[in-house]
Amino acid sequence: MKTKLYLAILWGLSGAVALEASASVDLFNNPVGAIGAKSNQPDLFNNPVGAIGTDKAQAVPATEKAAPDKSAAAEAKPAQTAKSNHWAYKPVSRPSEPAVTDKSWVRNPIDAFVLAKLEAKGIKPSPEADRAAFIRRATLDAWGVIPTPEQVQAFVEDTAPNAYEKLADRLLSSPKYGERQARRWLDLARYADSTGFQNDETRPNLWRYRDYVINSFNQDKPYSRFIQEQLAGDEIWPDNQDALIATGYMANFPDNHNSRDLVQRKYQITTDITDTVGKVFLAQTVECARCHNHKFDKISQKDYFSLQSFFANVSAVDNIPVAKKSEVEHNYEAALAKWEAATKDIRDKQKAIIDSVRDQAVKHHKERYLTDSREAIFKPQSEWNAQDRWVNHRLAYITDQQSLAAFLRDTAESKGKDKNYTKEIADKWTEYDKLAEDLKKFNDLKPKSGSTEISAMTELGHSDAPPSYVFFGGDHEKPLEQVQPAFPEAITDEKPDIKATPFSSGRRAALANWIASDKNPLTARVFVNRVWEEYFGHGIVETVSDFGKAGQKPTNPELLDYLADNFIKQGWSIKKLHRDILLSSVYRQASDYREDIAKADPDNKLLGVFPRKRLEAEQIRDSLLVASGKLEDKVGGPSVFPPVPANLGAGNQWQVSKDPQDQNRRSLYIFTRRSVPYPLLETFNMASAQEAHSKREVTTSPLQSLALFNSDVVFGWSQALAGRVINEAGKDEAAQLDRLYQILFARKASDSEKVLLQKFLDNHEKTVREKTSEGKFAVSIPTGLKDNQKLDPIRAAAFVDLVHTVANSNEFIYRF
Amino acid sequence: MNNQSRRDFLLKTGYGLGGMALGGMLPGGGFLSSALASELADPLTPKQPHFAGKVKSIIWLHQNGAPSTLDLYDYKPELVKLAGQDVPASFLKGIKTSTQGGLGKLYASNRTWKQHGQSGAWFSDLLPNLAQHADDLTFIKSSVTIGATHDISILKLNSGGLNPGRPTLGAWIQYALGSANPDLPAYVVLYNGKKEPTGGSINWSSGFLPAVYQGTAFRSGKSPILHLERPELVAASQQHDNLGLLKQLNDLKDQAYPQDTELQARVRSYDLAERMQTSAPEAVDLSKESDATKALYGLDDETTKEYGTNLLRARRLVERGVRFIQVVSGPVDVDGDERTWDAHTKLEENHGKHAKIVDKPIAGLLTDLKALGLLDSTLVVWTSEFGRTSWGESGTGRDHNPWGYTQWLAGGGVKAGTTYGATDEIGLQVADKSLAVDTYDLHATILNQMGLDHLKLVYKYQGRSERPTVVYGKVIKELIA
Repeated sequence: MKTKLYLAILWGLSGAVALEASASVDLFNNPVGAIGAKSNQPDLFNNPVGAIGTDKAQAVPATEKAAPDKSAAAEAKPAQTAKSNHWAYKPVSRPSEPAVTDKSWVRNPIDAFVLAKLEAKGIKPSPEADRAAFIRRATLDAWGVIPTPEQVQAFVEDTAPNAYEKLADRLLSSPKYGERQARRWLDLARYADSTGFQNDETRPNLWRYRDYVINSFNQDKPYSRFIQEQLAGDEIWPDNQDALIATGYMANFPDNHNSRDLVQRKYQITTDITDTVGKVFLAQTVECARCHNHKFDKISQKDYFSLQSFFANVSAVDNIPVAKKSEVEHNYEAALAKWEAATKDIRDKQKAIIDSVRDQAVKHHKERYLTDSREAIFKPQSEWNAQDRWVNHRLAYITDQQSLAAFLRDTAESKGKDKNYTKEIADKWTEYDKLAEDLKKFNDLKPKSGSTEISAMTELGHSDAPPSYVFFGGDHEKPLEQVQPAFPEAITDEKPDIKATPFSSGRRAALANWIASDKNPLTARVFVNRVWEEYFGHGIVETVSDFGKAGQKPTNPELLDYLADNFIKQGWSIKKLHRDILLSSVYRQASDYREDIAKADPDNKLLGVFPRKRLEAEQIRDSLLVASGKLEDKVGGPSVFPPVPANLGAGNQWQVSKDPQDQNRRSLYIFTRRSVPYPLLETFNMASAQEAHSKREVTTSPLQSLALFNSDVVFGWSQALAGRVINEAGKDEAAQLDRLYQILFARKASDSEKVLLQKFLDNHEKTVREKTSEGKFAVSIPTGLKDNQKLDPIRAAAFVDLVHTVANSNEFIYRF
Repeated sequence: MNNQSRRDFLLKTGYGLGGMALGGMLPGGGFLSSALASELADPLTPKQPHFAGKVKSIIWLHQNGAPSTLDLYDYKPELVKLAGQDVPASFLKGIKTSTQGGLGKLYASNRTWKQHGQSGAWFSDLLPNLAQHADDLTFIKSSVTIGATHDISILKLNSGGLNPGRPTLGAWIQYALGSANPDLPAYVVLYNGKKEPTGGSINWSSGFLPAVYQGTAFRSGKSPILHLERPELVAASQQHDNLGLLKQLNDLKDQAYPQDTELQARVRSYDLAERMQTSAPEAVDLSKESDATKALYGLDDETTKEYGTNLLRARRLVERGVRFIQVVSGPVDVDGDERTWDAHTKLEENHGKHAKIVDKPIAGLLTDLKALGLLDSTLVVWTSEFGRTSWGESGTGRDHNPWGYTQWLAGGGVKAGTTYGATDEIGLQVADKSLAVDTYDLHATILNQMGLDHLKLVYKYQGRSERPTVVYGKVIKELIA
């Protein structure tokens, strides 16, 4: 009864009829969207949402059982066989550890696989990096920030035989590990806090997905489960809100609410999800087969659209209430309540105006959509098929009061030329527009971040999916044969085991189970390769997102298979994989240049030296924050807006967070606005959120130098770092230089460096003094100094410049 | 690690020449692999085109919001005659439409039309100055595109993609040719109005190309690039000292990595940055321009000053070797609201204002380029995401039209004073579909003028050889002189 009632209201487009649906599923939803426009007209269209409710543990019995027992299923099945003979589609082998001469170098099997190749070429591995260099490297790789001098010292002085193991375990058990690994995964999930396209609207809930990813890494969630949750959390664990949030992986698609072609929009969204899944989990460029059969891989157009059809029935839902409210939600509600109270009168008046013309306004809005969208929109609900249902849900999802107010505006502005024009309408528009202006005055009261809802992908409570077709040339207006969900034949002959649930088609669970299966030849290989790339700068397969024929072949196929096989054997434990790499001799090598390797292995493919690497954008910013002592350690929560250059011109798309603590959060908490990438990070090749971003490029440009050298924000950190150095080292300048180097480089300054730096200070003091003698300038001195520090301001300003310059140097920006 | 030898080889053998397959197997051929591009010591080193190009610079005049070219260039007496009537069904064949505002009544605005120049090109009264350049322009009156939504079609206009992720045309050009002036970015974006065009940097994104190839937005005012000015309280003499120290520190560290060109490139990038602090403000400083020149661009008139400033800056950037200058027209106040050319209502007021803003500056730009002998080596492109419908919307405006509209080229190597293609009698769809010019064709043609073959300009991305025109595009030979 409850179900029918809700549905009748929720799907309350003209002449609502209670939909037939499984009575056991409570398909309710609060008719609330984002703050503001959507939230203040509860019966506008009544966002018809089919999220899976939160209180149906009893309603959907045995949801856990919906998840197939993976290991049992895997054992029962024979190894998958592929139509293609391509290396990546062959089952993962279990290569035996190769024999090597220098057995003492082998700390774990990884080393044997690497050393065998080196020895075959007559190359000796490099000596161990010194401990200080090692901990800086490992902390940057595992955490994404530099270590503190205390952490460095403790490790350097640790005489325990298991000092390295202790370090690895300490790194992997810190929440910072999850933050760093999450950033890389968010690249792959094209994660953003906004929709992109011209209007680039805020997605107020998606940070919960970001936090889900952080937590998953920190909990060491098995990668297989991580996959299943993100692709089919709503189907397999519908009563688990984390699993619903996980489907945000799919919901990260770029979107434009303005699109007038909803049928095309559905196709573009499905395309985005399909291509992302193919690329990220399977490292297959399936998207190449959308317009024509794949040119290099044996993936046909039919394969491609069969893969798309797994996602044929998914809809984005933004208004599932948070089950367990915490401080974030309470704060948000309190702030929202203030805004609502202050604006109730205005909003009621606006609503009354719209109510008086609602039917006309709805019709006017619906008419803006293109021919085939309109067919679905104007069809009586009783005649809806699955595709029509999608279109109508989309319509309600994007329609807000402002969309309806457009009727008043358009009609009024026609100045009598529109057939609907009356003076009354014109007056109503004048009144409505004025109220809208009044409403804007209260914008400061609106909560700036946070929400009380989650975003997810669900199937709106229906198990029937729209049909899928092969599209001629990829053009959705030219359907050819109909296709069913199927795995690419080139990869496997396995057929999907699809079991519909009362509230969804069951298709994605089948796909997720196949991808997450121990037998899938690609999944483990692809993931271990990504992790390898993170540590060594290059994957064992260089093309980390293309394991097809056009991609590169593995430089060390036995190592790749060893890692993949071991990863599965260790229960898909990501932390164990990291630990094995961190503790290998390969990873422990020094990065110093070697003439012999430059000759014998110029691209260092065999890893006879450790490859130095420029820090990624977030590592640079976060490490500078650590150095300056300003980093806020808080994990998770709504995204933040740190300061941007005054002439950026982002308007109200970037309203800087008022709380200074929010300005100093780790970079992965910075609001990802697709149209306004955070400038400091963007210049250092941060990921683009427009599509799955596989690899951080390293480019070097003068714009980077300008940002690091001239940004007032970065300079401010240098002032704080200078203050910290003086606080910690005292007045002795040699001690200060040592401390500065310990903080930034995990080592003391050498004697020759000290000579150089002292000389600079002496000369630079004169430069600063000259400047001040002209009376034009004040000077920038260290900040955050403890009491009773009496400094010569000129010398102190010179020292700030020194600190800022050292922080700009290659030794800081690279990890060696 | 040591890629010196490989790079030397590439440099000595002139990497970047079309057809040279490098960096291993490149299915489909190509001249730079993605791996290589990120390894290059300086990705902006000038590179040779595929063949001798006719122009060195493009000025891409994006009329944001989509003007009704039916009210500017595409004179349709039949439309005037049929105004007020329903659209005859025969004209609607093959297109999907919205019915909002009531599709039906054909609409003619209050224009007067005249032919100009020897070519006899039609101009409405909205563009009196540009009309004087009738014989400089090459009209494409058979422009088509996809989509009925600005953001999708603007994305396509700039990048060829309907979804974000593809590089914009300027990024492709910068990738292909590098920078002719190391002290300035080779791809610059200029916009007027209080803030960035909606969509922001996606409009000048490098997409899947390395980020170094994205456009650099020049802000208004004296300091056009972000972080161009030193931190407050740091004097130039101080900064110079600092940079000297930085070089010494880097040299010390880099001794252990004598062959590492990436580290060396980073040292050089600080030299470039220091120079850019002078060269970029100088490039946009109009104080040395004569009053006559300023007047030519309309800087003496509040209406045209802002857009004119951008076009005069554009000319100065052309003089300094910038390869692609993307000028996005900003919004203007129409009856109390900030509006682009997107005149769903009040077309008279909207187009009256927008035309006035751009008419004189663009005419001035053409005059000036010609006088300085730069028009032969510069291609000026009037472009928009789509056109507008022949029928009215809400009685005073027009809806979006991707089926037939006008764009034009002027300058190096194109047939001045000619018109290619036409729309039907009411200006709705391209008359002869075989003459339709889609975005991809426009891009292919522009690249051709730069000496680049759109089929050979490829970048290997995720196993696929990507090119600027996706899988489409043809050079429209009839446009080329």
